[in-house]
Amino acid sequence: MDMAAKFQDQLVFHLTGRRSGEGLAPVDARPMRPALLAGYRDLARLRHDYPLVLLENGATDGFAASLTLLVNHVLETLAPRGLEGERLRKHVLRLEREMRAMLAAGTEGSVSELWAAAAAKLADDADESVAKILALAGDTLKADGELVDCDERLPARFMAHAWRHVQAQKGELFHGHIDALQRKLSDILRAAFAHSEAGQRPEALRASVGGLHATDFDFDAMSRLVVRNVPKDQLPAPRRKRIEWALSVLKAQRFHASPRIASDAPVHDFHFDNVAAAVAAYRERLPQVVELVKAMAIADLETRNGYDEADHDPYFESYDENSLAAEDMALFPDYLVSIPVGRNDAPENAGLMDTLSSGLPVKVVVQITDLFEESSIGTGHFAFGIRAARLATAAMGLGGMFALQASSSTLYRMRHRVEQGMGCRGPALFSVFAGAPDHASALPRYLTAAAAKESRAFPAFVYDAAGGENWATRFSLEHNRDPETDWPADPFEYADDSLQRVRETVAFTFADFALCDRRNAGHFAVVPRERWTAAMMPAAQWLALPERESAERIPYVLAVDDDEVLHRVLVDAKMMQATRRCLLLWHRLQEHAGIHDSHAERLLARERTAWEAQQNEALEAIRKASAASPASPAAAADAAPPAAAQAAPAEEAKPPSDEPWIETARCPSCNECQLINPEMFAYNDNKQAYIKDVNAGTYRQLVEAAETCQVAIIHPGKPRNPDEPGLEDLMKRAEAFN
Amino acid sequence: MARPLSQCIIKLHEEHHNLEDYQGGVPRWCNGCGDNAILAAVQRLCRDENLAPERTVFVSGIGCSSRFPHYMKTYGFHGIHGRAFPIAQGVKMARPDLNVFVNTGDGDCCSIGAAHWIHAIRYNMNMTVILHDNHVYGLTKKQASPTSPVGLRSNTTPRGSVLEALNPLTVTLGVQNVSFVAQAVDWIPELMYDIVSKAFHHRGFSFIRIIQRCPEFLPKMFEPWLHDPGKTLLLTHANGLQPSPELARTYKNQREHDPLDIHRAREIASTEDPIPVGVLYHNPEVPCYEDLRGAGGPRTVDAIRKGLEAEFDKFTFWPEAEGQDRAA
Repeated sequence: MDMAAKFQDQLVFHLTGRRSGEGLAPVDARPMRPALLAGYRDLARLRHDYPLVLLENGATDGFAASLTLLVNHVLETLAPRGLEGERLRKHVLRLEREMRAMLAAGTEGSVSELWAAAAAKLADDADESVAKILALAGDTLKADGELVDCDERLPARFMAHAWRHVQAQKGELFHGHIDALQRKLSDILRAAFAHSEAGQRPEALRASVGGLHATDFDFDAMSRLVVRNVPKDQLPAPRRKRIEWALSVLKAQRFHASPRIASDAPVHDFHFDNVAAAVAAYRERLPQVVELVKAMAIADLETRNGYDEADHDPYFESYDENSLAAEDMALFPDYLVSIPVGRNDAPENAGLMDTLSSGLPVKVVVQITDLFEESSIGTGHFAFGIRAARLATAAMGLGGMFALQASSSTLYRMRHRVEQGMGCRGPALFSVFAGAPDHASALPRYLTAAAAKESRAFPAFVYDAAGGENWATRFSLEHNRDPETDWPADPFEYADDSLQRVRETVAFTFADFALCDRRNAGHFAVVPRERWTAAMMPAAQWLALPERESAERIPYVLAVDDDEVLHRVLVDAKMMQATRRCLLLWHRLQEHAGIHDSHAERLLARERTAWEAQQNEALEAIRKASAASPASPAAAADAAPPAAAQAAPAEEAKPPSDEPWIETARCPSCNECQLINPEMFAYNDNKQAYIKDVNAGTYRQLVEAAETCQVAIIHPGKPRNPDEPGLEDLMKRAEAFN
Repeated sequence: MARPLSQCIIKLHEEHHNLEDYQGGVPRWCNGCGDNAILAAVQRLCRDENLAPERTVFVSGIGCSSRFPHYMKTYGFHGIHGRAFPIAQGVKMARPDLNVFVNTGDGDCCSIGAAHWIHAIRYNMNMTVILHDNHVYGLTKKQASPTSPVGLRSNTTPRGSVLEALNPLTVTLGVQNVSFVAQAVDWIPELMYDIVSKAFHHRGFSFIRIIQRCPEFLPKMFEPWLHDPGKTLLLTHANGLQPSPELARTYKNQREHDPLDIHRAREIASTEDPIPVGVLYHNPEVPCYEDLRGAGGPRTVDAIRKGLEAEFDKFTFWPEAEGQDRAA
């Protein structure tokens, strides 16, 4: 078969998706995966950032840690560098691998439990020391918590854990505040009781002394004495009523469980699985919120003794839910809505966008399971579903909220952003792609999730409305690899037919990601090596071609089969169209992040043109001038900008020396001058001396004040009254101070 | 935690204080005493920060300077000799919400109270400490103090003191957890105010040594520094002092010093002439003891009862419980 015939077959496939001739094999006959994923076959054998440990309460550094990190910490602590620590390292790393394998096989539990189970498996009957080493290493584990893998349940568990972590911190602060208020209010009531008639009765006094010494006192006599001598100030009835009311409301609150005192009263549940239920609960609890905020405010005022009935009574009477500020709401737990898989479009979640835009403190976790749904109008094109996959982008348009989009493989690396979102005031949306469903791909979910992110099909981004004044600070694409480029590219090495090493750079495109999903098999065709033609071109390069040229080329992606053999896989036009569309959406996100910002580029081009024109003009002028007369050094010197004027330090504005004055700013407030004449010298607002009335005293007093001043800042000037006795001597003495 | 609603209402009814609201009587210090300058600066600070007098405490020991709380119309505790720090720490532990100031003299702090001083630095509790250092025991009519210079003739050292003076700055800078050390002189009120204000805003143990004149017993001691501005070294920095242009014209001897540089701070602290004035060391990251220990915890009747019961239970023998423990 000649070259033209080969190309013809391939072109037909590319344009129609139909395989004709023998040269093109379907991909579903032999499962293929993108070449860049060739190295990741068995994730359980690879040390990577999953599985995760959801750290138990009380962890100081975050809410999640990777198992690798914890094991590293154990090794750093226990195993010395070099050969000495080698044995321990080997055993512990074996154990880590065993734990990964157990988790992948479905065993569940905390790190310590799995550690113990794995250690028991690895224990060697012949060598007891292995068990000992592993047990010792287990004791060094820095933290404990549930171990979770990157499976379909991960997004919901991870998010719920982050939410609990943030709520616990909030609860701690909340209780610190309301416990202090309760304590102070109780103190007021207790003091009032001690001052009251009832508090001064012998029985009350007896009850306040410890049992051992109760017989040593005569409480009747004590009571008589106390009644006579203590002040008779009683707590006014309205104030007592307010304090008791505030105390009862604070005690009865059901929003945050106390971290210190175990209580039997149940607290409200804030974790829901649909939006409607969360909104209903919010509405139902709003009156309680209003009452509690009001009680806290009244309690705060009462503890400062700052409650003014004339001003505050009317204010609190009209206090209702409209008076609540965002800061008040921030004290209360946020509502978490984890929408179960497949219920995104369910009627109970229809109000999602409404809820998000209303500013309710609700954190919604939406799990995306399928990025290859068809568009609702049934054109056979992928929808990049507005319904689900682009939810976060749509929510970003609502403005005042937090939106985070990530695939589950990135969640761990984005944990600080997740924590930030859970802690933000107001609504937040977390849209997470948990990897392709099991029926669609043979690859582990971690890989398909990562592939979705890498291929820009589901880019990771964060939009935080409260993050700053402008888009640049609010929006971030930082968690994507090479966010400036169209596709991330990696070096790829393989052996060719003659077993020589070939190295090339391979981009990871949307088509590569689509290849992971067996439902897309129809869009791909494998070309045997002997049928490779010069017209074939990597998909990423093909996309960059002008339309006319691309018609003469056929795009392919590199893939490997189960035997690790490299193939070129042709991509049909429909898939390439989807790839192009994916790129378009990615460009849009890039612009949000200021990458290839069209406005900025246009402005830059305009400025550059203007600058070049200006430079040309200047150049032209110089050329003309030099043609007219050769430049002389003198002329050059004239043209030079005048030397910067030496800014002479402004002399301190001193009053004329004839007038008496004081350097007030230097006065150390020592009272000396005022003792001489308090009418003449006075203190200003900062308690520093100045001459208040020069006519209120004599020149002699001025001179004496100057002499006694510790820091010599009084300047007596010249005498005003020429008839004052002894002026000559006084003026001589004054000279030293003028 | 924010108390938004009540804060708004309180703002509506907030009292504004002027300097007189903090003045508690006419000071009984000698004429020309440097304590007056410190008092004026502190009263100015209270006014400018609008500190509620009922939420502000001045604690002192014994000595001329320790009369300070009497002249402030706030809460005060005129304590016993050398024990200002433990009292102030107790106040802070029970009521972390109060503004706590400590006024102590060179004898009170560096002699009888030295042990408390060292440990107070280490505890780094949030309080502003002013060491009034006039180099002499003035209240008892002139005896040598730990900071008296060699050769000082006093009632206890009639032939001149023989020991080197203790340097409170180097001592403080040598203690673990030190977080704020500054030096001021009473005759430059503007800088003293700036330093006191910086110290107040630091969260932690802010230690200011103020070199102060004693016109009664050491009238000539600081004359050379008073009359020659070149003998005062101003430490300037964006995070430290930034003297006004007027002052900078008089005090030209200036050096930029980063308050985070503790080694340089120790070096500067060792110089006596020129006298360094400014923030020597400031590290806002050092944790406060009251934060580490959760001071001001709840003391409701219920909480006290539960706490006590938990403590008593530790000493109660429960055979079943012990059995369970063993089984576990």
